[in-house]
Order: sequence, then C-alpha cells, then structure tokens
Amino acid sequence: MPEERSHTRQVIGSLVVALLIVVAAVAVVTAKFGPTSAAEQEAVEERLEQREERLEERRELQEERREEP
Amino acid sequence: MKLHAATSRPGLRHETPQRANFSCALEDLIETLTRGNPTEVKVILASVALALAVYQLVLISIGYGKVRLPFLGAPPAAQAHRAVGDTIAVVLVVVALMCVGYFGFEDDATLHMVAAIALLGVLALKIVVVRRWHAMGRFLPALGISVWLLLALTWLTSAGDFLAGS
Repeated sequence: MPEERSHTRQVIGSLVVALLIVVAAVAVVTAKFGPTSAAEQEAVEERLEQREERLEERRELQEERREEP
Repeated sequence: MKLHAATSRPGLRHETPQRANFSCALEDLIETLTRGNPTEVKVILASVALALAVYQLVLISIGYGKVRLPFLGAPPAAQAHRAVGDTIAVVLVVVALMCVGYFGFEDDATLHMVAAIALLGVLALKIVVVRRWHAMGRFLPALGISVWLLLALTWLTSAGDFLAGS
C-alpha cells in the first residue's frame, strides 16, 4: 500500500514537471514573439484610431468656439 | 518578420469550388480559433511538443534503468512517459491539421513536409507497437529516437526558422 502511494506520487510529480516545462516553453516562445502578434497589432491600431478621433473632436470643438461670437 | 513557406499565408491553389469552399471554411476556423495568430499558435504548440519530447528522453532513460534517481523509480517514469507521449501525439496532430489546413503544401517547404509526414508515420507505428504489436517491442527505442529526431528536424525547418527570423 505505501509502495502504491509512492508510485502515484512519483507519477504525479513527473506530470507536474511536464506541466512546468509546458509553461516555460510557452513563456519563452511568447516572449520571443514580442508585440508582433496580430492581436497586439490590432490593439495598437485601435488605440491610434481612438487617439485620432479624439484629436479630430477637439479640433471641431475649437473651430466651433472660434465661430461663436 | 521573416516569412517562411511553412509559416506564411497560403498562396493561390488550383481546386474545385467545393474543395475551395472547404479550404476557406477551414482557414477561417483556424484564424478564428487562433484569434488571427495561426503562425504564432503553431510555433508555440510545436515548441511545447519539442520541449516535452526532450523531457520524454529523460523519462524513458529512467524507465529503462539507464539513469537511476533516488526520487523517481522506473515504473512511474515509464507511466509518465506514456501519459506525456499521448499528450505530445495530440499536440502534433493539431499542429499538422493547422499546418495543412491553413498553410497547405508549398513547394519551397519540401524538407519540412517530408520530415513532418515521416514523423507522423513513425509516431503512428510507435503507437501501434506500444498498444497492439507487442512482438515488435524491441524496436521501441529506435522508434522513439527516430520520432525525436524527426520532430527536431520538423521544428527546425519551420518554427525554429520562424523564431530565428522574428
């Protein structure tokens, strides 16, 4: 019985090590990609668009104020 | 970012309309599942498979008694080797489906394609030997090493190349 427990513990330990290897591999490869993924680029483009929209709104507001007597 | 035949977007293919529709649907599915990053997801999955394959060598060395550790016996190591091997097989099939479904067969990725097809073939043979064809069990170490070498070659000719260029 204790031998069986030790066997199960060793199998679980080996699988936990495998899981840690998976996490490390994903982290290393993802870090290597950097901010070049499509999702990242889309997010950057969206932020730029929002910024441009805000600038345009401000310009319009300024023009409206100038036109007011 | 460097584009490689096995990791770049597919070019035009001469297909029947039904087949073209199926190809488009498959490409859309892969694109949706990977949120527009099929290459990156494929590279990550292939790298995970390679990293686990290195760990598999360690486990089976303990399983065959070539390496002795005080905290890990041969039977648990062999059992973990089987479980991790099943996981790697599933990951490799997913990567292969993504590769063929999204990138297709390109002329300038011949080595990658040949290595990948050989890898899947040897892996399938190894699974058959482990599960059914026990009489051929003596060839398992050779089959295992072949799987590892073919996986390394397949990774190097696609994911490794992509990572070196990114």
